[in-house]
This record gives sequence, structure tokens and C-alpha cells, in this order.
Amino acid sequence: MGNGVQIQSTHLGKASIQIPAGSNRNVVKVLLETDKNAGISAITGLDLGEKIGLMYHVRTNGVIVTISTELPKDNPQIPSITDLIPGANFHEREVADLFGVIFQGHPNPGRLVLPEDWPENLYPLRKDAKIDELTTRPATSSFSKGAVQSEAESKLVNIFVGPQHPALLEPEKFSVKVDGEIVKAVEPRIGYVHRGVEKASEQRTYLQDVYLVERICGICNSCHASCFVETVEKILGTEVPPRGKYLRTIILELNRLHSHLLLLGHAGLEIGYETLFQYMWRDREPIMDLTELLTGNRVIASSLTVGGVRRDLKETDVPKIKTQLVILRKRMDFYQNLFNSEPSLRMRTRNVGTLSKEDALKLCVVGPVARASGVNMDVRKDEPYEAYGEIPFKLITRSEGDTYARLMVRLDEVTESINIIEYALDHLPEGPYRVKVPRVVVAGEAVSRVEAPRGELFYYVKSNGTAYPERVKVRTPTFANIPAFLKTAIGGSIADVPANFVSLDPCFSCTDR
Amino acid sequence: MEMALDLELIFRVLVFPGFTFILFFTLFCDWVERKVEARMQNRVGPAVAGPAGILQPLADFVKLLTKEDIVPRDAKKLVFKFAPIISFSFMVFALCFLPIDGASAIPGAGFAGDLVFIMALVTVANFLLFLSGWASANPYSAIGSARVLTQFLGYDIPLFLLALTPAFLAKSLSIAAIAANQYLPFILLAPWAFVLFIITLQAELEKDPFDIPHAESEVVGGLETEYCGGKLAFLHLTRDVQIVFGAALVVELFLGGPYGPVFFGLPVFWYSLWFIIKLLAVVVITEYVTCLFARLRIDQVLTANWKILLPLSVLSLTLTVAMATWIYPLMV
Repeated sequence: MGNGVQIQSTHLGKASIQIPAGSNRNVVKVLLETDKNAGISAITGLDLGEKIGLMYHVRTNGVIVTISTELPKDNPQIPSITDLIPGANFHEREVADLFGVIFQGHPNPGRLVLPEDWPENLYPLRKDAKIDELTTRPATSSFSKGAVQSEAESKLVNIFVGPQHPALLEPEKFSVKVDGEIVKAVEPRIGYVHRGVEKASEQRTYLQDVYLVERICGICNSCHASCFVETVEKILGTEVPPRGKYLRTIILELNRLHSHLLLLGHAGLEIGYETLFQYMWRDREPIMDLTELLTGNRVIASSLTVGGVRRDLKETDVPKIKTQLVILRKRMDFYQNLFNSEPSLRMRTRNVGTLSKEDALKLCVVGPVARASGVNMDVRKDEPYEAYGEIPFKLITRSEGDTYARLMVRLDEVTESINIIEYALDHLPEGPYRVKVPRVVVAGEAVSRVEAPRGELFYYVKSNGTAYPERVKVRTPTFANIPAFLKTAIGGSIADVPANFVSLDPCFSCTDR
Repeated sequence: MEMALDLELIFRVLVFPGFTFILFFTLFCDWVERKVEARMQNRVGPAVAGPAGILQPLADFVKLLTKEDIVPRDAKKLVFKFAPIISFSFMVFALCFLPIDGASAIPGAGFAGDLVFIMALVTVANFLLFLSGWASANPYSAIGSARVLTQFLGYDIPLFLLALTPAFLAKSLSIAAIAANQYLPFILLAPWAFVLFIITLQAELEKDPFDIPHAESEVVGGLETEYCGGKLAFLHLTRDVQIVFGAALVVELFLGGPYGPVFFGLPVFWYSLWFIIKLLAVVVITEYVTCLFARLRIDQVLTANWKILLPLSVLSLTLTVAMATWIYPLMV
């Protein structure tokens, strides 16, 4: 791998590799070649005072290997790895935006999460970034309004999907270039509702951060909380009692159930199948009630905390949950039948936005999108967290890779989730459901992954020995999945854009965390 | 004598079965549609305004009338302003030719080829809708109206061919004659034509699975995107009248028109009642189909229109002609 490489075992995944800045391409290449399913999970930037730290979290053989390097702060340059693994594109652009790292040879460097009129040389996640400098915004923006277009380009019509658009439930801008009805290119512009959660979490205590990260996404809120508390628990060395783990598993699966049902209904709306939408959302309602029964809250559960869960499950509530799950399972049979036989639904989703297995691996997509393209990948199986190691369940994959497959994977996963919850309820261990933990966290760093409904959710937390974290990095599944949409939309019909896009289950409040 | 006749004419045109009746009956049908769709989807539907929400369509209409009416700066103002109202008037005018209480709203207006005439009226009304979107100077409206036109080119021919089946059986192109000739409704004599007609009608009324021009996830509001206030109210009303007209056409062509058993008293009362009942049945059928399907893509709709619906409608007409020898004796 080259000189100056040090390998050690830490909480940063299976192995942590220290390398000099110049050899990042070689090391990443070697690691990617160890496994044909390998990809990049995230790239984390760090402010180390005099230097900028950079971490490549490579996913190989189902585990995370972290490659760390350091760059001088006054001239942070490093060769880009986007040509080795195209999935690194967005990750590098984000680090470039937030830390000012220059990735040499990046195919399309440019603002990704920061607004166009953000001042140059102000990198928000650096510790020395002065928020006052925001007031000195330049009057002129760098919008290329009068840019000269090439002749081929000027024939294309630019259709904006977003920031406000009926096909998107949240604001985000995609400019779709069409030639007639055929999509030629899609340019994303994320960051429209960026809230700076990563920065904000550095100014709050760990306990406050649990509530903050939960609010990144209203749908998969418990997954965010779970991923964050796991990282903190790794740094603290806390072992959650078994009952706490099982209760967390149940909450996480309820999260997945209502998220998948929401998406399947929403997909119905996008293809003009309003009846499906109304049915799905009606059947989703009891899941929200169960979440309330279990955690006290319908939407943002606020139930997970460092060291366990905040509320025990009452013995009398178990039959109530089981009754609802039996009803839902019957409904899922109905939907299976519907998805398998309804011609208009299949016409709109089959062979739409097909993502091949090779592309899925190259673009490092995660979750149901990857599984629908035949990639065997699920954090619950690869690196079991909570109680997933003890619970048997099936990993759902399909080979078609089209919109229909992406929806069907979710439909099948709903049934698996029901199985998991039922198993967890039957095998719920006795004992305490949480342990007390200190408020001040010892110095250290850790990464953690959770299989959120939309795919692998990734957290990196660095502690400096106080009650406040030094750095919290969040890589959400939608952020990793958007490249898949950019790829599959090209060559398709403009009328397929909503159906194709919604099949990724895009969540922009996750993307713009 | 002259005076009295005029009063009756004015009443027929303006009140019953003319403008006022058509207007309120349209709003009532809108309510029926919304209620049926809601019940199919396990919802409540309109429930607040009036008993069981029956006044909701009227409330929506009045509400829109009170809203600010904005005309985009770049819009073709004349077309943008008047196309919705003219389109609405054409639809109502076409309805006036259909026998509702045993005679049409304008007595003696019907003539030998009025089936062709009202089909032409509807075509013009649809074209005006396209113009209203085209004049909006908005890309979404432009795409939406282009889709109206594309789809309409596809279904207009099959619709007319299928309307010829009852005309052939009744040996007349007059709506009144076709309705009056159905001692046994044509739905029983030529059920294949009826089924095809309902499917084509679904496309004409721009309902699922053919509601491409209203695909809000693709074209936002379609041709309505730039409309607001009173003009939007009229666009909505035009759509609703279109649905009533489509259903009325089915009643006249296949379900024996307003005619049915007269038990006692005035035949006019019974004819109106039968007409309303039959029409509501058609509205429920179309709404039922709407709830069953997802929206197809524009290319899939065009394929369905030209490759399936058009040959089938020709086949349907041929079949009817071939079967005429056996069908005619049943008609007496």
C-alpha cells in the first residue's frame, strides 16, 4: 500500500488505516479490489486545528474500513478518487463545500450543499469559521445566467422539477434537460433547506444531540437516534442491556414499517393511483398508533437514549401490538396480489429507471435501491447491531433493478419487518432496559451504521473529553442514492421521472441535514 | 298566444331543463363523483357544507369566484380570459340538444344530423380548453394543453365511430330519434359497443387511467396552472359539465334516453327522473373505473388509442352491421 501506512483496530470500523496524504488513491484502490461489492460509505472532514483531517470510510466485505489522512489547512489539496469509484463524487463535493478541501481532478467540482452566493473562503464546519462573516455576502451571485450554451445544449429544453413541485413533497431543485419527451441530463442542486445539523450538534451536549439528530428526518427519526447513540456508546464502552436492545429493534422496525408504507402509498400518488395511496396510508395509521403506544409519541419517538431506551414496554401492550400486526399482514397479502396483477401499475413501473448491478455498485447506492439491483447488502445482516444478530429474517433482493423491483423490495420488507417485531416480542428478555451513563464522554471517536428504511445510515462522532462532541458526521441514505436517479433518469421519458425518483424514497430533510 | 309560447321557451331554456337545471345538476353530479370516489377510497368525502356535504361543489365554486383573478403578463389576454367561458357555453349548448324530459331544452332545436353537430361542438369546446392553456405562457400549461390535444386526437375518432353504432341501429343521426327508438335499450342489443364507448369516454373526460393532462406530478396543474379566481371556477365547471355531457350521451345512445315506464301523472316528471337515475348510474361507473387504475403514460395512451381502441371500434361497427339481421327484429 505504500510507505507510512499504519493499520490499527479502533471504533472506526473493522480497521483504521493512517496514511500520508499522497497515497490515498493507492490505498482506496487496494481496498476496493478486496471485494467486488466494495464501495465508499462516506468521506468525513475534520478540523484538527493546524490541519484538516480527512477520512475515507470504505465499505468492503460488509464492514467499514476507515482511511485517515491529514492535509495542511492553508492548502488542503488531495487527488480525487471519483474516477476510481464514481460514488465518491457527492461525498468529495460536500467536503469541499464544508471544509474547503480541493479534490484535484474531480470531474464536476462545484457547490453542492452551500448556496451559490455563499462567500468564498468561508468553510462552515471549520472551527475558526466566523458566523459574522455571513453578513458580508457579495452582492453579485455566481449564477451563470448569460452563459453561452453550445449548439447541442441549446436544443434541449430545461424543465425544473423543484424546488417547489407537486412531485416533490420537500423542496429540492432538479433541472431536467429534455429533448422532446426524452431526458438527456439531470442536474441536482441540493442544499435548498440545509439546516447545518452537523455544526449545531457541536454546540449541544450529547443528550441534547440525541433529540437534535432525531429531527433530521421525521420518518426515520429513530434510526438517526439509534445510529447516534450507538456511536456514543462505542466511545463510552457502554453495553446496552438485552431488553433495551430488543425494544430498540422493535422501535426501529416500526419505523421501517411506516416509512415503507408511506413510500408505497406515495408511489401510488406519483403514478396517478390515488386509491392505492389512500389505502396504504390508512393501513399505515395503526403503525403510528403502535409507535405512540410503545414510545409515547406518534412521529418523533424520542425513545432512544444513550444506554438504552427511555420507556419500557408494558406486558399488557404486547397483545395489542400483535393484533395490529396480524391485520397488517393480511393487508400486505392484498397488496402483493395488487402489485402482481394490476396492469396499469405494472405498465408505469416495469422497465422504468433500470439500474444495473454494476452501476449500483459503482455509484455506491444503499438500501432497497441496491437490493432491488441484486446487491446483497443490509447492515442488519452485515454488521448486526441492536438485537438483529439474534433475530432470523430474510434478506430481500431482486434482480430487475427497475422501479417496480424497488417498490416490491419494500413491499416484501414490510412482511419481514412484521416477522422481526413478532419474534422480538416473543423473545423479549427480562431485566433493565437502560443503564445510566456519564454526561461527559471520554475522548475518542467511533463510526456506526444502521439500516434505515431508505438504506445504510452512517454516523461518525468524535469526542474531545467534554460534554460536547467535537464533530458529528451524518451520511444519510438519500444522499448516497441520488446519483442513482441522475443515472437512471437519462434516456427515459419525462413522464417517468416522478415514478423513477419516488422509487428511491428520497428524503430531502435527510439529504439537507 | 305568441307571448305565452315565449314564456315557456324562456323557462325551458333558462330554468328547466335548460341552464339552471344543468348548472345545479352538474354541481350535484360533482358531489356524487366526489362522494363515490371517497367511499371507494375509504374516506368520508365532502361532509360539511349542507346535508352530507351536498353543497360542497357550490361552495367551492362560489369561493373561487371571490378569489383574486390574476392574468399573467405574457399571456394572450383575450384567449386566456374568454376561452374557459366560451368552452363552458359550448358544453351547455350541446347539452341543450339532448332530450332530457322527453324533449330537448330548446323545443324543436333537434334536426336530422344533430348527433354530428353536438360531437363537433364538444370538439370545439375541447379545442378551446387547449387554447386556454396554450395562451397561458407557462411551460407546464403548454405541456398540459399539448397533451390534451394529443390525447384528444387519439380518442375523438373511436368515440365517433362508436356513437355510430346506435345511430345505425336507429337508422338516424338525430339524437332524439335514437333515444326514442330504443324499446329495448341498445346496451342489451350491442353490449360490446357500450363497453368500448365507456372506455373511450374515460379518455374523453380525461379520467384515470387516461388523465394524462392532469398528471400533477409531471405537469403541475396542466393547462390550469396559471388560472385562478373566476376563470379557474369556470374551467372546473367546464370539466364537470363535460362529465355530465359524456354521461348524458351514454344515456341517450345506449340506455334508452329519458324514456322509461310512466306510472302515474305527468310523463315529463317520470322522463326527467329516469334520465337523472340513468345518468347518475353512468357517472358512478366512470368514477368506479377511475378508482381502479393508475395513470398511464402518454405514449401508452396513444398506443392504446391507435392500436387497440380504433381497430376495436371499427370492428364493433362492422359487427353491429353484420348482426343487424338478427338485431332488427328485436327492436320492435
